[in-house]
Amino acid sequence: MTKLRENDNLVGYVFASPFILGFLIFTVYPIFSSLYYSFTDYNLFEAPRWIGFDNYDKMFTGDDKYWKSIKVTFTYVLGSVPLRLAFALAVAMMLNKAVKGIGLYRSAYYLPSLIGGSVAVSIMWTQIFGDKGLLNSALGLIGIHTETSWIGSPGTAIWTLIALSVWQFGSSMLIFLAGLKNIPASYYEAASVDGAGGVRKFFQITLPLLSPIILFNLIMQTISAFMTFTPAYIISRGEGGPLDSTLLYSLYLYRRAFQFYEMGYASAMAWVMLILIGLIALVLFQTSKYWVHYETKGGR
Amino acid sequence: MKKAITAALSSALSAALLLTACGGGASSSSGSTSGSTPAATSGSSKDPVTLRVAWWGGQSRHDYTLKVIDLYMKKNPNVKIETEYAAFDDYWKKLAPQAAAGGLPDVIQMDISYLTQYGGRGQLEDLDPYIKKGTIHTGDINENSLSGGKVDGKLVALNLGSNALQATVDPQMLKDAGVTLKQDWTFADWEEIGAKLKAKGKMIAADLRHDVYFPFYLRGKGQKMYAADGTSLGYSDDKPFVEFYTMYKKWYDSGYLLPLDKLSQKKGTPEDSELVMGNAASSNGWSNQYILEAAAAKRPVDLVPVPGWSQNKALFLKPSMYFSVAKSSKQKEEAAKFIDFFLNDIEANKIIKGERGVPVSSKVKEALMPDLTPEQKKVFEYVSWAEKNSSPMDPPNPVGAVEVDKLLKDTVEQILYKKISVEEGAAKFRKEANAILAKNKK
Repeated sequence: MTKLRENDNLVGYVFASPFILGFLIFTVYPIFSSLYYSFTDYNLFEAPRWIGFDNYDKMFTGDDKYWKSIKVTFTYVLGSVPLRLAFALAVAMMLNKAVKGIGLYRSAYYLPSLIGGSVAVSIMWTQIFGDKGLLNSALGLIGIHTETSWIGSPGTAIWTLIALSVWQFGSSMLIFLAGLKNIPASYYEAASVDGAGGVRKFFQITLPLLSPIILFNLIMQTISAFMTFTPAYIISRGEGGPLDSTLLYSLYLYRRAFQFYEMGYASAMAWVMLILIGLIALVLFQTSKYWVHYETKGGR
Repeated sequence: MKKAITAALSSALSAALLLTACGGGASSSSGSTSGSTPAATSGSSKDPVTLRVAWWGGQSRHDYTLKVIDLYMKKNPNVKIETEYAAFDDYWKKLAPQAAAGGLPDVIQMDISYLTQYGGRGQLEDLDPYIKKGTIHTGDINENSLSGGKVDGKLVALNLGSNALQATVDPQMLKDAGVTLKQDWTFADWEEIGAKLKAKGKMIAADLRHDVYFPFYLRGKGQKMYAADGTSLGYSDDKPFVEFYTMYKKWYDSGYLLPLDKLSQKKGTPEDSELVMGNAASSNGWSNQYILEAAAAKRPVDLVPVPGWSQNKALFLKPSMYFSVAKSSKQKEEAAKFIDFFLNDIEANKIIKGERGVPVSSKVKEALMPDLTPEQKKVFEYVSWAEKNSSPMDPPNPVGAVEVDKLLKDTVEQILYKKISVEEGAAKFRKEANAILAKNKK
């Protein structure tokens, strides 16, 4: 009987083997070899040379650009995530009404997320925020004539990236929408009977009941914001310019790896980012018990 | 973080897919072999051979190179050529992993800024034996044209054409601004002309590329960008840096050049050039770029020497690009034969028409002359003039030069955006560049 069961398992493993092998070869092995490379000097042409913690040391003490990229990344994350979530929630509440053609509106607002991080959209963005772009033409119509390139100026370039991120609010919006649908209408009716206005209802009913979903979106969006690469790469043509104002962490890592052939340094950067994202996710989870409301357990 | 790496990997993969798809187009065209020269195929086996040939460039270069390759396959029916081509940046991003995996193409188009990286690290075959054997004929090629392909005394790359720095100018625009050009104009003249053009609402040029013109200015002062052993910069006195970028900053602040925010969005195509669009009176580049720019301008433009060339004979002839053979190649003999064809075959060069720089073979140069368009002729004549009015080229850039070039660009941006002074920039650049190059110390 036991023997037969083992055979059953074997068949299972055989069927699962494409995934298991793929996982081992393309995920586990690269992760550990990247950990190894992070302690080496490796330029792709010559064999990796063990240098201990030198890469980490240089990163934290001898590389101004590294700190600049950290600063740019935090500006981007702190700017884009709250705006994006607020925007997503606002639109979700608007789309939670029974209006004629609501399905069409929902699809239309979700559309930017479908084509989201693509190269084409980033190129379109450079057209909109360029010196002769759509934005400047629109400003010209209301009497503000300017020829600045929003994407090419150090002060504004990162904000065009944030705007692009906010514009892709669709997926969090859909999740919010599902959450809103789960709030029983009877709560609002009861509140109306007690004389609560719209603002009161939002803060006393909608937000608390939606808080688990806000937590989920917050964590997912934060992680993906930290990993943003494509728009900055396309818009700054791989350089993170002007004046390093769009030098996101992932872009700097890419430059080190594929432009200067410093695979060891890039691997070390990747590991620091992994730990950083892990820590931030942990902090968000820890604080969540103060503000996330679960109907089943009552939270804190 | 994984996403960046995934993005990088997947873009490399898609580039590879794209390139192989392109490669499929160049199928072997067997058949009509009557026209093949016996010399081209003599002494080698007729076994089927597959060669991989890689280059970077724009669409027009891809088009004619594919034609040359078709011609080669027609003449050598046993050879099937697979092509891999991309734009400059993507090309190098793809080549490095191939080198790491031991899978470089057999014939590789090589650039001077990457020559040491590949040649010095044992990725490229020494071509001297193939010249001695006669596989590659260099009888019609000047020794000076060949020496630019040497790394540590070994010839690892063959020059495909010569280039010299040039200025493309719009004579009408200059005339309207009341400017008469001197043949031996200096950067001081440049500044004066900039002011006259500014008064007419025009620019003198979009910019001067820092990784090209700062070393050029140094040459004029009798100094070099890099030390001979490649472990540091070639200069220790910041004076030339301060002089050049004080001038540059003045031009920039006075509006003679394109604002940085607009410059950063330039696509780098001829159509996108400020000269072509009629906003600037000149554009600075290598001589082979003149033809495309002149064609895009659709109005009379002219080719003149770059400002400052006469100071200490700062001008030099530079190999536009090279062909190299990968050390890992299993078809080195065939690869060398293909390079020979590209360099010496008249029929092939009638298709190439000096787009990769003025041909190095005097025989080919002569044969092409009657068929050249007036614009192409200007380039050929300019390069032979430059040959007589220049000094020898500096050795190829050391490993790390790509990073130093980026550092220079970043530093100058900080100066032009007034984040640091020119003097601070000079010191900062020298210190950081030396740190990058110090890694070359063995």
